[in-house]
Amino acid sequence: MSAVLEVSDLRKTFGGITAVDGVSFEVQAGEILGIIGPNGSGKTTLFNCILGQLHPSGGEVRIDGSLSTDMRPCDLNRLGVSRTFQLLQVFPRLSVRDNLILAGQEHRGSMLSRLFGRGDAGLGEAADRMIEFFRLSHLAQQQAGALSYGQQKLLDAAMAFMAGPRLVLLDEPAGGVNLTMLGHLRERLAAYHAERKATFVVIEHQMEFVMALCTRVLVLAQGRIIAEGAPQEVRANPIVVEAYLGR
Amino acid sequence: MASFIQLVVSGLATGAIYALIAVGFTLIWQTSQTINFAQGEFVMLPAFFILAAMDLGAPFWLSAAIGIALSLLVLGALFKLIVVDPVLKHGVLPLVISTIALSLFLKEGVKDFYSSQAQPFPALVPATDIRVLEAVISTQSLVVLAVAIATVLALHFLLNGTRLGRSMQATAQNPVLASILGIPVRRMVLYTFLLNAALVAIASILITPIYLAKFTNGETLGVAAFLAAIIGGFNQVRGAILGGIILGILDNLSAHYLSSQYRGAFPLLILIAVILLRPQGLLGRIEERTI
Amino acid sequence: MRRLGAGAVAIGVIAAVALPFLLKSFGIYLISMWAVLTIAAIGLNLTLGYAGQISLAQGAFVGIGAYCVALLTPEGFPYALAFVGAGLLCFAIGWLLGYPALRVQHHYLAFVTLAFTTLVFLLLRNEEWLTNGIYGINAIPRPTFFGWSTASALYFYFFCLGALIAISLAVWWMLRSPWGRAFVALRENPIRALSLGVDTRRYTLMAFAIGSSLGGLSGALYAPLVQFIEPSSFALGLSFNLLMMVIVGGSGFFFGPFVGALVAVLLPEWMRIAQGYYLILYASIVMLLMAFCPSGVIGLMGRAFNALSARRDRAATVLHGERVGA
Repeated sequence: MSAVLEVSDLRKTFGGITAVDGVSFEVQAGEILGIIGPNGSGKTTLFNCILGQLHPSGGEVRIDGSLSTDMRPCDLNRLGVSRTFQLLQVFPRLSVRDNLILAGQEHRGSMLSRLFGRGDAGLGEAADRMIEFFRLSHLAQQQAGALSYGQQKLLDAAMAFMAGPRLVLLDEPAGGVNLTMLGHLRERLAAYHAERKATFVVIEHQMEFVMALCTRVLVLAQGRIIAEGAPQEVRANPIVVEAYLGR
Repeated sequence: MASFIQLVVSGLATGAIYALIAVGFTLIWQTSQTINFAQGEFVMLPAFFILAAMDLGAPFWLSAAIGIALSLLVLGALFKLIVVDPVLKHGVLPLVISTIALSLFLKEGVKDFYSSQAQPFPALVPATDIRVLEAVISTQSLVVLAVAIATVLALHFLLNGTRLGRSMQATAQNPVLASILGIPVRRMVLYTFLLNAALVAIASILITPIYLAKFTNGETLGVAAFLAAIIGGFNQVRGAILGGIILGILDNLSAHYLSSQYRGAFPLLILIAVILLRPQGLLGRIEERTI
Repeated sequence: MRRLGAGAVAIGVIAAVALPFLLKSFGIYLISMWAVLTIAAIGLNLTLGYAGQISLAQGAFVGIGAYCVALLTPEGFPYALAFVGAGLLCFAIGWLLGYPALRVQHHYLAFVTLAFTTLVFLLLRNEEWLTNGIYGINAIPRPTFFGWSTASALYFYFFCLGALIAISLAVWWMLRSPWGRAFVALRENPIRALSLGVDTRRYTLMAFAIGSSLGGLSGALYAPLVQFIEPSSFALGLSFNLLMMVIVGGSGFFFGPFVGALVAVLLPEWMRIAQGYYLILYASIVMLLMAFCPSGVIGLMGRAFNALSARRDRAATVLHGERVGA
């Protein structure tokens, strides 16, 4: 059975700078893979190459065995891949509920059928359930822009899950979130993972978050993988410690 | 064959003028994300500054100097400070719309406040012809070519050979990095606008004797600027020069060999073809989808 | 805010129905022109305000629609067929034009539509065998439906008004459907929209094609309204005019085109004194708006309303001594 995500020798250069330098790894179904590394190690660039936001300079990406390099992000999304963003990207002027319906609507029927069908594309109940799952019920009709930062982060994750994706790439989901919200977020992510048997790839800086959530960890530095393994091993690995702390 | 050479030479001359207009257009786009839809009117206007000065009695060379100075002021500094800066913070789309409105404003302004009739405009040299290899070439074309080439060379030297020019290029390519390196970005952007104003003023002096000074000149010249910039590749100054020259030659050849009724159609068809077949132009890079 | 808006719309509808009885035939002609131009502006608003693309071809599509009707109806074609045909033709052309142009960035659609408009003008002017060239086509008949003739100014106005209301309802329906949400996403954050599976390219193309077809429908009404058409009415000038209508009214707002078209139709009348300086004035207004309030008149009204209600809330705070709102 092929891996859900397979990255082979991925490279990305910008002018003279090599951001990603021959990265290869696989993610099996049901894993929660963490990707950590110091700032500038190429983590977000790696994501953007996998997700079609950037053209890789070399290498391949395969989803479920079929080639997906250079697919447009919207086509990848319809294959069952979704993501969250490091910089918040909810739609501030839509309500929380509308944000969620938007997140799922493109998977319901064809473009034309959506024009003549129901206004919520049949997703009203699913959106309500998602709102409950993330405990945002009291905010359902509020404009997303009025939510607190942490609540928007939850909404961002909820949006990524609306279409029932098999592979979710989370870019620093814990960034800037306060401690109480952090626990809630991690717990919800774990719950979703358990319920849906989804596969996650998580970029994160916060060690405790990664250690508690991930089943396996990759360490990136200067565009290359320098260590790989179970969270506890990686944390103790001297190469990793040196990469973070410098010489 | 003789007429072909004539057409190519005069095509090179007009092409060089298009190149100047297109370079200014590309520079402004690079430094400040401004798509100047009024670029054609920018070329139309300086000629009227000069005519107005001459109406007041000034000799041509003085009027030309006044015209260039006024261009720098109005089309350079005032354009940036009054039109671009207040709008740019709202985004690129409102700015494009503003320049579309500006083109209308300038066009109607000249029509209403100066004249709607075509006015003759003095050439740099009296029109005489010389014979080269059985082809009759006007001295005017040669002078235009000479001035345009000199301007392009001066521009090239400025941008690549002087510290100021390299700072301007750095600002165009990466304003954030440029400011970290200590380059006064806002001033560099202003210089780019002034540079464009100078380029369009020179282009105006060169092309108006041929087209006559008319308030509608901006329409064709504007299209020429966009087209040259797109053919060359939107983000390349060298491309703009190449695009301008190619356009000038093709335009001249088509005028001669194709029906005059569809004279204006040819550049437009090229535009649609380029966008369909090779949108990044001849020298441009395919742009990334950014985050 | 909602109630105020609904009230304003109700007043507008009543005024639109009652006004023609109070006006002489030139006044009726003006409000008919308003209705017809609003349809074209609604189309351009879809392209510009909802999909964020600049089209300089809306005037050309009005022209295509107008010539469609002007050439077909005297030959015996039923008007309804010509009307629908105009819309479909412009939809198809819009799709063909937009498909390559929207694959690239940098507002290439603006340039392509600029070129297209000039090309259409040249075709209309030069192909005299078809269009009668600069001499134009006159005596364009007004349609008759089931024995009811729209030849009189009053009846033709109500015909235009009816078309405007029907089209507005259709566009309203579209914007309330999931498409409307997709358009908001596309306009606010195309990157995020893409990552959620919204095919931004397809939706933008749709908005442009539908917008262009509305231009065609507008032209199909324009021809029998003015009853004489010639190529220069549909050159760049009309496209610029329509663009500025949408901007001044408020791009991206549903009622923006209605307001913008009103300003455009009335401004030359107000400026009779200023003798045709109205274009300069119009252009200046647009530039000022872009600098201070890019969301046009409707945006200004929204801001004024918010400012007033904020002041009222603050006043209420002072009176009641408690926090009002969040």
